[in-house]
Amino acid sequence: MTQTLPRFSTGIPGLDTVFGGGFVEGASYIVQGQPGAGKTILGNQIAFATAAAGKKVLYVTLLAETHDRLFQSLSTLSFFEKGRLGSNIVYVSVFQTLAKEGLGAVVDLLRKETKRQGASLIVFDGLLNARDRAETDLDVKTFVAEVQSQAAFVGCTVLFLTSAGVHDDSPEHTMVDGVLELHDELVGVRTVRRLRARKSRGSAALGGYHQYEIGDDGISVFPRIEAAFHTPSATDNPDPKPLRSGIQGFDEITGGGLPQGSITLLIGPSGCGKTSFGLNFLSASSVAEPGLHFGFYESPERLLLKANALGLDLKGNVEREEVEILWQPLTENLIDKMAYRLLDAVSARGVKRLFIDSLGGFERAAVHPPRLVEFFAALTNELRAMGVTAVGTWELRDLFASGVAAPGPEISSLLDNLIMMRQVEIRSEYKRVLSVLKIRDQSFQAAPQEVYIDGHGLAIRGQFEQATGISTGLAKPLEA
Amino acid sequence: MKIVVAEDEFLIADLLVVSLEDAGHEVHDAAHGMDALKLIRSLEPDLVITDFMMPLMTGLELAETMKADSVLQGIPIILVSGAQGAIARSRTDLFDLVFDKPYAMDRLLTAVADLGGERGQP
Repeated sequence: MTQTLPRFSTGIPGLDTVFGGGFVEGASYIVQGQPGAGKTILGNQIAFATAAAGKKVLYVTLLAETHDRLFQSLSTLSFFEKGRLGSNIVYVSVFQTLAKEGLGAVVDLLRKETKRQGASLIVFDGLLNARDRAETDLDVKTFVAEVQSQAAFVGCTVLFLTSAGVHDDSPEHTMVDGVLELHDELVGVRTVRRLRARKSRGSAALGGYHQYEIGDDGISVFPRIEAAFHTPSATDNPDPKPLRSGIQGFDEITGGGLPQGSITLLIGPSGCGKTSFGLNFLSASSVAEPGLHFGFYESPERLLLKANALGLDLKGNVEREEVEILWQPLTENLIDKMAYRLLDAVSARGVKRLFIDSLGGFERAAVHPPRLVEFFAALTNELRAMGVTAVGTWELRDLFASGVAAPGPEISSLLDNLIMMRQVEIRSEYKRVLSVLKIRDQSFQAAPQEVYIDGHGLAIRGQFEQATGISTGLAKPLEA
Repeated sequence: MKIVVAEDEFLIADLLVVSLEDAGHEVHDAAHGMDALKLIRSLEPDLVITDFMMPLMTGLELAETMKADSVLQGIPIILVSGAQGAIARSRTDLFDLVFDKPYAMDRLLTAVADLGGERGQP
C-alpha cells in the first residue's frame, strides 16, 4: 500500500500546492536564489507560520547582517510578530563558531540547540558561507548530511537557504529531499519573479515555473493554473436548460439563451456593443443567480454610468449584492494571480453569470504566450465545473476588415459558443450586427441580426437586411 | 575593568570588544552563553555584557546561573538585546542595566564607566 508522508503547511499561499501539500516533516530542503530573490523572507515567513502553529523554530544565521537589521526589515511585513522572538523563534548566529572551530563544531552546536529548544524547524540562512569555509566539497556534503540526519532523527525539518547556484550535480543537491529555486529576472522591461521545485522527494510537485510576488504579507505564490487545475476541482455537471441571456431578442434566436455552464466568446472591434452585451447579460443576475463583472478597462464607477445610460439598474444589482464588479487595471499583472482572483470571486459568491471584458487582458499579462492555450483550457474547464455561464470578449483589431483576427484556433475551440459583433456600412449608414456562429448543443439562427443600443439596453429586433459581405464590414444590399 | 562579552553575532561582538578595549578595558568574548559561563568562572570578571538570544545558553539563563552561584552573584550584568528588553527589564534581580539594540555605543561606554566608578575601578 502506498503511504503518504506527514506534512506541514509552509504558511505561504500557493507554495504548499507547488509541493503537493506542504513540506514533508523531518525532510530537508535547499532554498536557493540570487540576493534579492526573497529567500530570507521565505525562510522567516515559514518560521513564523510554524511558530504560529504552536511549534518551535530555530533560525540559524551565517550572515554578515546583524539580527537586529534583519528584524528591522522584517518588521514591515505582516507575518512578523516581535513577541515570538526568543520564545517560539530563536535566532542564533553560528558565524563565530564556524570561524573559530569549523563546520564540525557547528553541527555539534545545532544538535544540542535543536534538542534544547525542542525545535520542529531549523532554518539555516547562509549555506554559501559554510561552503566558503569548507576545504572541499565533501565537507559541505558531510555538513548537510549530518545536520539533516540529526534533525530527521528528532523529526525536525531543515531549510538551507543559499544564494549560490547549487547545481544539479553538486553534492549537497543529492543529499537533500527538496530543492526550491527562486528567480528574479527581467522579461522585456518588467521584473518577473518565478520559482520552481527542482527536486521534491516523497511527493509529486507541480513542475515548471510558478510566478510569485513579495508584498506586505510576504511571499505569495501563484501556481500555474494549467498545472494546479490539471483536471477541474469538481465534476462537470452540465445542465441542459439554457440560461436566459438578459438581451431582448437573443433567446429567441438561440433556443432559449446561452447553455448553462458554457463559455461564450464575443468577438468584435471597439464600439460594436460588446460591453453593452455584457451589462445586459449581468443585469439579469439575481441573488439566486449572482453575477460578476471581471473587467480590465472601465473602473466600476464608469461601468455604472455606462449601465445607467443603457437604462440598466446595475447600481441596484450591485447594492442588492446580485452583481460584483472586479476591476483589474490593464497594467503590470500576473496572469495566474488574476486567474485566482477570478476563481476565488466566483467561488466566494457562487457566481453563475460571469462577464470577462476582455480575455485579451489575460493575454497581455502572459510572460510566456505559448502557454495561453493550456491556461485558458484549465480556466474554462474550472469555470464550467463550477457551473458558471461565462461570456468573454475579444477585441478585433480593425473596425472594418475582411480578415477576422480572432484568438488562435486552439483558443477558439476551447470555447462553447461564438458570437461575432460588427459595425457594417450599408447605404451610407453604419449599423451594428450580431451573428451567432456557434452555440453548443442548441440549434440557433445563423443569420446576421441587427442590434439596437439605446436607453433601453441592447436589443435584437430581427434579421439584418438581405445583404452580402456583412462579415467584411462593407455590406452590399442584395439586388432584387 | 575586566569584562566578559557574550554575543553570538560577530559584527556586534567585534564592535563591542574594540570599543571597550579602546576605552581601556580588558575584554574577553564568547560566542554563546556556555562559553561565556566558562570564561566567567575562570576569570571572575568585574562586569558581564551579554546578548539575550544565543545558542546553547541564553543571556537570561546565563544571568540566572550566575545569580545562583555564590562566587559569581556579585558580578554586575548588562543585557543588550534586540527584542527581549521588556522580559529583561522585568527581572531587575538579574540585570543591572538593559540596552535595546540598536543602541549608541557612547551610552553603553558611559554606563560601563559609571559602573566601574561605583565599584572604585578604572
